[in-house]
Amino acid sequence: MQHHELESFEKLCTQDAPPACQCRCPVHVEAGAVACLVSSGHFDEARKTLERFLPLAALTGRLCEGPCREKCLRGSLGGPINLPFLEQMVVTLGKATKPYPLPGTGHRTAILGSGLSSLVAAFELAKKGHKAVIHHLGPIGGSLIKLPEEKLPEKVFKETIESLKRLKINFVELDGPLSLAKISDDFKALGFEAVFIGFDDPAIEPKMLGLTESDLAPDPVTMAISRANFFISPVNLVNPHIEATKAGKIAAGSLDRLFQGVNPSSAREKEAITESILNVNLNDRESAPEVSPADPLNPTATDAINEAKRCLACSCLACLPPCPFLQDRVSYPKKLAREFYNNIITAFGNRSSNRFINSCAQCGLCGQICPNGADLGRFVDLCRLDMVATNHMPVSSHEYPLEDQVFSNSPQVAFIRPQKGSQDSKYVLFPGCQLPASLPDVTISLYRHLTSHLDGGVGIWTGCCGAPGRWSGRAILTSKTTEAMLGAHQKLGAPKVILACPSCQLMFKGSLPQIPTIGLWEVLADLPLPKESSARPGSFIIHDPCAARLDETGQDGVRSILKSLKQDYIEPKYTRRFTMCCGYGGLVDQAFPEMGQKFVSQRVMEANAIFKDANGAFIAWCIMCRDRFLASGQRSIHPLELLFDPPKEDDLIAPKPPGISKRRENRLRLRRLMLTELWQEIIPENLQEAPQMNLAIDIPASVLEDFEAKRILVSDVTMVLEHAAKNGPTFVNPESGHSIACLRPRQVTFWVDYELKADGRYLVHRAWCHRMTLPNVPGEGAESPASSEGFARTGGRV
Amino acid sequence: MAHAFSKFGAEGWYCPKCNKPLERVSVNVEYMGASFFVELPGCPTCGTILVDQELSSGKMLEVEKLLEDK
Repeated sequence: MQHHELESFEKLCTQDAPPACQCRCPVHVEAGAVACLVSSGHFDEARKTLERFLPLAALTGRLCEGPCREKCLRGSLGGPINLPFLEQMVVTLGKATKPYPLPGTGHRTAILGSGLSSLVAAFELAKKGHKAVIHHLGPIGGSLIKLPEEKLPEKVFKETIESLKRLKINFVELDGPLSLAKISDDFKALGFEAVFIGFDDPAIEPKMLGLTESDLAPDPVTMAISRANFFISPVNLVNPHIEATKAGKIAAGSLDRLFQGVNPSSAREKEAITESILNVNLNDRESAPEVSPADPLNPTATDAINEAKRCLACSCLACLPPCPFLQDRVSYPKKLAREFYNNIITAFGNRSSNRFINSCAQCGLCGQICPNGADLGRFVDLCRLDMVATNHMPVSSHEYPLEDQVFSNSPQVAFIRPQKGSQDSKYVLFPGCQLPASLPDVTISLYRHLTSHLDGGVGIWTGCCGAPGRWSGRAILTSKTTEAMLGAHQKLGAPKVILACPSCQLMFKGSLPQIPTIGLWEVLADLPLPKESSARPGSFIIHDPCAARLDETGQDGVRSILKSLKQDYIEPKYTRRFTMCCGYGGLVDQAFPEMGQKFVSQRVMEANAIFKDANGAFIAWCIMCRDRFLASGQRSIHPLELLFDPPKEDDLIAPKPPGISKRRENRLRLRRLMLTELWQEIIPENLQEAPQMNLAIDIPASVLEDFEAKRILVSDVTMVLEHAAKNGPTFVNPESGHSIACLRPRQVTFWVDYELKADGRYLVHRAWCHRMTLPNVPGEGAESPASSEGFARTGGRV
Repeated sequence: MAHAFSKFGAEGWYCPKCNKPLERVSVNVEYMGASFFVELPGCPTCGTILVDQELSSGKMLEVEKLLEDK
């Protein structure tokens, strides 16, 4: 992965961008942070934060005019935050921090004028260890000393001047009138390397110095004028105090750069006043009026706290509420992208974010919500491809779905046929791998329905589109899969492919754009309803699959069929292009089952808030969504069930969806039924799914449930027991009568604890597996699709 | 590492080929190019090792994941 790929993604997510108030502030005070600390009564900490931006906060904090208020987003919701008031309270109530200047550098600056900009410039220079000498005409402070006592108490002013003197800043009174030539020569003779002139001191007049108009327009980035090593504060400032503060601070920054031999204008982009790019959603925010202190002359801490509480704490985080992954990481796309990138480029040590890279559902919701389209899933895609290509994708993360993909495309399962009795195929139904695994009989009914209503021949093509390989970053497996699919499609005469699965639709569009396709729901919406179709009673909520969030035709097609069926349903808050993922997307459930569960739980929680009665159910038009809802105990039905499955008595109870072994069995069953019944074929012996030996194996339901969590197939256990039947068990326990057998058919070693009963039946008590290799374990240890691509190292399964 | 895997949980189990009760056996296990010796229950004669369920879903899984993230 290249760094520019991270940079391009980072530009899209604005969460780190400063809010409008900070962008407008001439010295970029983190007003939100100050308000947050004030709102919780932490005035000392608030002052510390303020002092990071505001030099001489005792003065400047009392004098700031608050131009931030022009941009404050609270403005339209009760009036902008009164930051000048908060600043005043912070410097009144918060403890000042003592500056610790750097050791003396020997560089000397002459400052002409003793107004605010001059005091700030001198303070900033002194902190950096540079000598500053303030030359003033008349009293120190210029116009500051004329401010009313309630605005700037005399005591505060005097203490500030004393604190400057403690920083070894000298004050020298000059006699007027002055000329530029004279001060240049005099300052040079006194060993000063640069001059700062603060015109905010009324005693320092441009005319008196003989400066031309062009001399009075300093470079806004550095405050330098055309005369070498001369810096000034501009005249005629709109917000005289905060802008003078800025001028002094910027000029001191320029002088510091000058003394260090660095270009004074370099890397100063962030000091300019800009427009904020931070996206802030104000939709759910309530209006709140500005807090006016009961006694304006003696405002209290409570007044400040109440005013600070009005701060909206502007941030984006718009993508967080519907995404369990972002919530779990308490993070946002930009930050996570950087974390993932750092993980990818780790040369030595642990790649501790692997698990999180594999925990994003890549469902695209964040990209839809984000006004700039920052889709973390797309970045995750690049990360996963990189991890596989550089041998750093944990083998165990996606092993099972990859094996399942290979199984679905094996000759024992996959098949393609033109319609029986038809030479041509205008269409071919591609049901995907999961619909036949969940609803084999409904799939067959669907095929029959299509063949009886569509002219020109409708073939059947079963198998997996390769989505698991794509999601897991296996580029080679994906390319091999699509290549084989292209060949099969051509062989059938390149018909239009009717796609029943939204993920298949995305895969065909992305990897096989040359194959003409049409979504099943678009086709079905134009056909008459099957005679066995029926609406179901009760409350239903429609759940669009995340893979179809941009498929408006499919979304409309499903809704049109539901209307024809007179099936009642309601739309959830997150629907169509903003639909939520069930946790199957991006193989989250496979790599990180706990995270997968959080996705399904969040969607179910949202539905439960909508359903007023306990019998609410989802209508989910992706079979994996339907199954995942069912697995979590949430009623759910696929629209194909409404069309082809007559209502059952237990429709109101959430049935358990088929487990991983049953899913494989169902795919085999679909093939067997279709080929033998529809095409009257005899399946060759080598393509039959029956195990080699006909062992009578009993597996209690609780044990089967345990298999699901461990991704152990009944066929894995059968293989181990067949090996034990031929070669004897690995270990025996005479006391309990149990035996243990083990086998390593591929890069996983399976163990089965069983009893061989007197009647010859095998009762399975437990099974478990691991990936580590041990000596003396029988089996081929064959490579799995997860370990064969980009993974030279051998390697656990969940 | 030897300590990590060494919990002995194989009482009552025998190797049927050698007819010997299982004992602690030092064994070399490998994963992701890393190999190390651990003590596990096994047949003292033929060296066949038993990895029990607790070990496979506990410490062994933990080490597998650690090595995968290297």
